Amino acid sequence: MILKYFQELRSGIETKLLENPVNTNAREKYVLETAKLGTRLFSRNNKIAWCALMTPYEILNAMGITSCYVELIGGFLSSKNAVGPLITIAEQEGYPVESCAYHKGITGAMLQGMIPEPEFIIGASSPCIGGFAILENMARKFNKDLFILDVPQEETNESIKYLSDQIKNMVKFISEHTGKSLDPESLKQAVIYTNQTRKLKIEIYNLLKQIPSPANPYILRDFGFVSPVFDGTKAMVDICETFIEEFQNTINAGLCGVTGENIRLLWIQNRIQFKCSIKKTLMDEFKVNIFDDINDINWEPIDPDDPYIGFAKRMLCYPLNFNAEKKLELLLNQVKEFKIDGVINPCNWGCRQVIGIRGLINNGLKEIGIPVLNLEVDCVDSRNLAEGQVRTRLEAFLEMLSHNKRVPLSQST
Amino acid sequence: MYTMGIDIGSSATKAVILGDDDRIRSKEIELTGGDNLRSAEKVFQNALLAALLNEEDVHCVVTTGYGRKNVPFADRHLTEISCHALGLNFLCPNAKMILDIGGQDCKVIHLDGNGQVLDFAMNDKCSAGTGRFLEVIANTLGVPLEKMGLQSTLAKTTIRISSMCTVFAESEVVSQVAKGSAIPDIIKGVHDAIAERAVMLLNRLGLREPIAMTGGVAQNIGVVRSIENRLQKRLVIPESPQIIGALGAAIYARKRVSETIH
Repeated sequence: MILKYFQELRSGIETKLLENPVNTNAREKYVLETAKLGTRLFSRNNKIAWCALMTPYEILNAMGITSCYVELIGGFLSSKNAVGPLITIAEQEGYPVESCAYHKGITGAMLQGMIPEPEFIIGASSPCIGGFAILENMARKFNKDLFILDVPQEETNESIKYLSDQIKNMVKFISEHTGKSLDPESLKQAVIYTNQTRKLKIEIYNLLKQIPSPANPYILRDFGFVSPVFDGTKAMVDICETFIEEFQNTINAGLCGVTGENIRLLWIQNRIQFKCSIKKTLMDEFKVNIFDDINDINWEPIDPDDPYIGFAKRMLCYPLNFNAEKKLELLLNQVKEFKIDGVINPCNWGCRQVIGIRGLINNGLKEIGIPVLNLEVDCVDSRNLAEGQVRTRLEAFLEMLSHNKRVPLSQST
Repeated sequence: MYTMGIDIGSSATKAVILGDDDRIRSKEIELTGGDNLRSAEKVFQNALLAALLNEEDVHCVVTTGYGRKNVPFADRHLTEISCHALGLNFLCPNAKMILDIGGQDCKVIHLDGNGQVLDFAMNDKCSAGTGRFLEVIANTLGVPLEKMGLQSTLAKTTIRISSMCTVFAESEVVSQVAKGSAIPDIIKGVHDAIAERAVMLLNRLGLREPIAMTGGVAQNIGVVRSIENRLQKRLVIPESPQIIGALGAAIYARKRVSETIH
């Protein structure tokens, strides 16, 4: 079922590309790349690896190994409304109802035989210990070796060295399990692409800061999560260049992503993956634009001649690896840069990442007059969505922000 | 000029007709039942009848509450959070904070002197600590809902009832009855459970006085006293606390009509 979906998606976009190569937009190119990855992952003809979110994917791409993080599959299944029965299967196996549905979805799919067997598995201690547990289960289920990246939270000379040594060992591990060696020139080229992508992404996000923004709330949703699996590829450079061209054209033409853009929201971490009518409320009724905290680029370019230190530094400053204070600092900066009116914290069920630091985020943002809405939703399992309840909270929040736009808080009391 | 606000809640549907002289011309309450539209139509007609008005006398109808989008004859809709702030400010202009316990949710609101929402928080994902919770327990005990408050004032001791889950709390109540615990003591335990959740939510947003309480549960003296004891503060209870959302909707309707005219 999954393979068929990706194959059809791929052939649909490729046909369009052949018929009309000029008018293919960046989003389509990006989706095409995702479809190609999905086809390779699920065709069962390729050597594949299931990995953690923060794995340095340019290494795997440079070695020609198809790889992906497991949460992406959980989110994909949710977006296709296919995850419910799989979650039920995982719950029957003992997963608590309120644990993370990304992980229950992939577990259910694995138990149903829908997940192709990998050559090896790479797990990481951060950002999510639940995700690590899934990879451990996967290793047991497929009887495959698991390499573990132990990611410290603080960035120090020692922690950088500690992590970069592990990444070097990870390369050895991959070579031992695939018989493939890492060609230094291929890695160097991959890092050059990664640095180009980094620069282009910064340019993209700077364009998004325009008021009104040239993007709508959905064109770059989950970009910060998904796009790193294409790190180190020419395709990602092309996609980013096309996004820049499109956004620049939109700005030059005096157009924008959301007609009449009125409210700018910063969305913390997880978007709601399944289809629901909340999108209509945001776009049509309140003219909302959304920017994702996870899209932030806060790492320095990586040295192509000695990339391991750079890989380690990037992992250490990944927003989901931050402690609460650094996370808040990042959010405060984004609020300022993107001229944000309010912040949404969906508080995905079972995700200790966002729920654990909820109070600190609330207080920190409120100190600078930025309202925060905690939604308490399951971002993956639509069966848990009390749509009326969520809609009321969201609409009330937007009504409040709409009023704040007209009358500054300081003048309204 | 008359405007009407209709609040379609999970338990009750309320309507208020407001005149441009700031007088409430009528207020009506009906059980919502399974058909939102039918309930809205019924309170609409009843409110007109009570105010001796015809449909064409009402210049604007605004709906609020969970069924707010299911009423085709409404001119606009607004969330109950915004409406409660407007409605309460109309009756109690000094109030800085609202605790509203309705049928299926509990909300706390900071409001400014113009009835605008400054911040709000709502209960998490279950109905424990709401009006529905109280209804379930009243049914289990066979005590009429409107007598629960008075009954609890007769309590001699407090029985701890779990505030985590309505269904589990119901089974706890059944166990207490089987053990022979006095009904007023059990009811007081139930009220304390609701109060505990409400106070947690108030503190989460931050206390700002005066605090007013609205919604059907504000009519229950037992819950009100239990909250007041925990806060060590008096709550302001407006007359007819159930109709505050509908009143706010009528006020919003009047503002919209004024904007259109001017």
